[in-house]
Amino acid sequence: MGFLDTYSAPLTEKTAAHLLRRATFGPTRAEILNLSGKSASEAVDILIDNASFRASPPPPVELDDNRSDAGQPFLQKPFDLNRATSYLRYIQYWWIGLMTEQNGFPSVLEKLTAFWQNHFVVTSADVEDYRYINRYLSFLRTNALGNFRDITIGMTKDPGMLRFQNGNENTKTSPNENYARELQELFTVGQKNFAGSYNYTEDDVKAAARVLTGWQATNYFVPASTAFGSIFNPERHDTDDKAFSAHYNNTVISGKSGNSAGDEELSSLVNMLLSHPEAPKFICRKLYRWYVNPNVNQDIENQVIIPLAEFFASPINNFEIKPVLRKLLTSNIFFDQANIGAIVKSPSEMMIGMIRFFNQPVPDITTEFGPFRLMMDFIAGSMNTMQLSFLNQPSVFGSLPYYQTGYSRNWINGTSLGYRGSRSDAMVYPFVRIKPDYLLQIDVLGRLSAIQPNFGNVTAAPAITCEKVLAEFSSNLYAVELTQVQKDFLIDKIMMMNSSPRTTWTREWDAYRAAPSDVSKQNTILWRCRAMLKYMLRMAEYQLF
Amino acid sequence: MKRRDFISAASSMALPLMLDGFGIKSLAKGSALVQSLRKTAAVNSDRILVIVYLGGGNDGLNTVIPLENYSAYNQLRNNIAIPENSILRLAGNLETGFHPAMTGMRALYDEGKLSIIHSVSYPNPDLSHYRSTDIWMTGVDSSQYADSGWAGRYLNDRFPGYPNNYPNSEMEDPLAIQIGQISTTTLLGNSESMGITLQDPNSFYQMIGEPDLSLESGLPCCDAGELIAYIRQQQVLAVGYAGEIKAAADAGRNLATYPDASQKNDLADQLKIVARLIHGGLRSKIYYVSLGGFDTHSNQIGSNSLEGNHAELLKKLSDAIYAFQSDLGLQGTADKVLGMTFSDFGRRASSNASKGTDHGIAAPMFVFGTGMKRQLVGTNPDLVNGLLPANPYPGDPNRDIKMQIDFRRVYSDVLNDWFGTVRSTTDQILYRNFKTTSLFSDLVQSIASGSWLNPEIWSSGRIPTALDLVQINPGHTVEVGQNIIAKDLQVKNGGELKFLGNYSFKRPG
Repeated sequence: MGFLDTYSAPLTEKTAAHLLRRATFGPTRAEILNLSGKSASEAVDILIDNASFRASPPPPVELDDNRSDAGQPFLQKPFDLNRATSYLRYIQYWWIGLMTEQNGFPSVLEKLTAFWQNHFVVTSADVEDYRYINRYLSFLRTNALGNFRDITIGMTKDPGMLRFQNGNENTKTSPNENYARELQELFTVGQKNFAGSYNYTEDDVKAAARVLTGWQATNYFVPASTAFGSIFNPERHDTDDKAFSAHYNNTVISGKSGNSAGDEELSSLVNMLLSHPEAPKFICRKLYRWYVNPNVNQDIENQVIIPLAEFFASPINNFEIKPVLRKLLTSNIFFDQANIGAIVKSPSEMMIGMIRFFNQPVPDITTEFGPFRLMMDFIAGSMNTMQLSFLNQPSVFGSLPYYQTGYSRNWINGTSLGYRGSRSDAMVYPFVRIKPDYLLQIDVLGRLSAIQPNFGNVTAAPAITCEKVLAEFSSNLYAVELTQVQKDFLIDKIMMMNSSPRTTWTREWDAYRAAPSDVSKQNTILWRCRAMLKYMLRMAEYQLF
Repeated sequence: MKRRDFISAASSMALPLMLDGFGIKSLAKGSALVQSLRKTAAVNSDRILVIVYLGGGNDGLNTVIPLENYSAYNQLRNNIAIPENSILRLAGNLETGFHPAMTGMRALYDEGKLSIIHSVSYPNPDLSHYRSTDIWMTGVDSSQYADSGWAGRYLNDRFPGYPNNYPNSEMEDPLAIQIGQISTTTLLGNSESMGITLQDPNSFYQMIGEPDLSLESGLPCCDAGELIAYIRQQQVLAVGYAGEIKAAADAGRNLATYPDASQKNDLADQLKIVARLIHGGLRSKIYYVSLGGFDTHSNQIGSNSLEGNHAELLKKLSDAIYAFQSDLGLQGTADKVLGMTFSDFGRRASSNASKGTDHGIAAPMFVFGTGMKRQLVGTNPDLVNGLLPANPYPGDPNRDIKMQIDFRRVYSDVLNDWFGTVRSTTDQILYRNFKTTSLFSDLVQSIASGSWLNPEIWSSGRIPTALDLVQINPGHTVEVGQNIIAKDLQVKNGGELKFLGNYSFKRPG
């Protein structure tokens, strides 16, 4: 049974939840139940096909309800310098809204786009022009499941990338090596192979920089401008031949001139980069770390990365991304017990996953822009505090926990654990108001009432027990199983506060059943369940996915 | 005698030792007297190191400017060069000046509280941000890898067994504190970070809240189990230290004026917290702070070379360090604190056409405080004959500054001379022996054979002066072709001072 062979067992709740936690930002209960019983291939096809549901969502809008143009799209308007900072935030909110909404069509799209956004990094703090960032995000969303060659070419010419990595200042008289280096080190071949040898030379960086001379971004940050983009200026292009090292089989890219020179040489360059034997491995290794497990040992390298890379680069696949993603997400190694819970949640999986898991609906961005903004203030603000800001990564390397030794552990320290706890506390002890009648919170009374047979008739059915309450709240909450010791601890030490026997709960619950609108009866239930939920969401287990 | 030596001597030797008038003959390791000695503030035990990371790769040549080579400097980077008459002059140093934004650091230099280590790098430099920073943080050769940071290994050695049974009565406080968010590799020990990462001591305490019981129950298999154990450990550590940090933050006071909020000087904000914790009596050994934004590929200057990104960054750096050092002086804590800067790498000597500089090799480090014995290690980079590549291809405008001082020599001096680490232990921490830079010593030693006038044969990287005690080490022959002067001169057995003519050595005065 090969690591990359298709996982054949029908999905259980546990494996369906695992697939959804990794392929999206976290499941709802309904999504888990929907995929349970299906084969891995069926389930992954659904998640891939659902990408089309949000291929063209309604555009970002002005979210400041004090403004007369509140709720109106702004991207088609002439560039507005004064609103630049706000619009950048709205574009990020728009995207997080798509990640968070629960529309019945869970899809791989936003998580995969986030992967590319962490790979081909362009940061809004550097680029600042919101149209550039929107174009960058649209390009990645449109091409996320497409062809890696197209993405590489598109990103190289992307006006945001030209600004961010100084490609627009790269000219024949004065090559700027910044992008040429990152293109090789971070975007395609990687600095070193798995054994630690360099994949290219410093001279390759210089040669690639010369290939890329002449590209420019237009109308950057020009007030009232209505169009922008990237152009190739042949005057600035180095028309000499560019010779590369033995790492690239001593390829020589012939210097071209004229208007099509930029595209022609870029195409040759990307072909050369993708022909490097390390390039497909570099990308597949990064996908594995993102979706399966950050730890790649020699066994995984040999049995997963190398064969997946061969498939990725094979003539029949020709760098298409969708088949590679399908292969990875349906593989035995993906569903291996050892890989379930093997990653620390990033702030996005923590925050968005929590909102989705507890079924907190996202207000419609167009008709309820005020509440939408309030909700995204909370989600994006919290993620930002925990050191993840989509479309605004700390550096061209992307977020540190995706590349530094220790990988996802780097999300965790004394401070970040404190923040995580305070945000999950907010779901338990509610105070974040989205609308007059909508407070972010776990619906404790509603969920427990729903699992109580004959709720209104105390004599007709016995009370749900402490064990049932814990089972309800912990169902699919963790990627790993709680032990019996932990369950007993949660019930006796936390829920029953180390002071009351479990039978006290049944009496209290029945008292509430008998008088459900009695606030003091409600509060007893909330007091116990909230104490337990707060503890459950602060447990180390909750930080894994 | 170093404290560590004393303790081990006191516990293992039968020779009488005197301490504060008490004779000590023979002591078991666990005896009450040894235990109480361990807790006293013996030599070096209360010293603190503050590490300042300049993220992105600082452009050293526009920071510390070689006045003696001004025309070569101007030629290499005409579009970003600082005008000669704007460069800040340094007291008693005609050869070198500072960027005009660095008035605070100039003042510290003039007061003898700031040292310049010229042209620091390492052999076979790597120009990737991530890898080069990793090399600096882990303290390895560019061909080697380590999973721990140099400062983390030091703390691991000094506080064996951490985090098991910490905090304890001997060390109640975190070993190290990083003001920031994501933990730095520098403080990674052999198995985990030796430091506590926090943003603000008050909110840190509130967030952690009262200690919760941690469940010592069975862990799931594989990575998930390891991660759960790791997170639980972080939870326990954070809770364990929260009270101490809060108490120090409450007791400490900032006595100097820091840049106000409108300056958005994050480094000053971080150092302000550090000063407060030090004043509040927190005994953490290492603090780690950072300032990002130094990756200045383009537009590092504004409409003129006195303004722009790099000038703003250097102003923040200089203002922050000046305020911090002033604060320590007013608190009376200055003598136990040493500061040190580092960055990913230096930048090219030659600028690019985008008014920026690309990734380069060597750049200066700064060390600040009252503990250094010399203010200059190494010389200005030789911009005329000393650039890399030595034989450039015709038409290639790129010139790099070559290394004079391996950064690990500075680390080695900090561990040996500032923290009082046993030398053989320092060599283990840094994986081998590195020669001293004499930063904390009056004594300049030969580190190779050669001419007296060749700075590279001296530990300080400079030709000895009348202020230096000079030592010729065994195996070195130093050739003298002129009259020489030094405070004193000692030729070790096996070393040789070879006069090439009728020249003399004399002491000053």
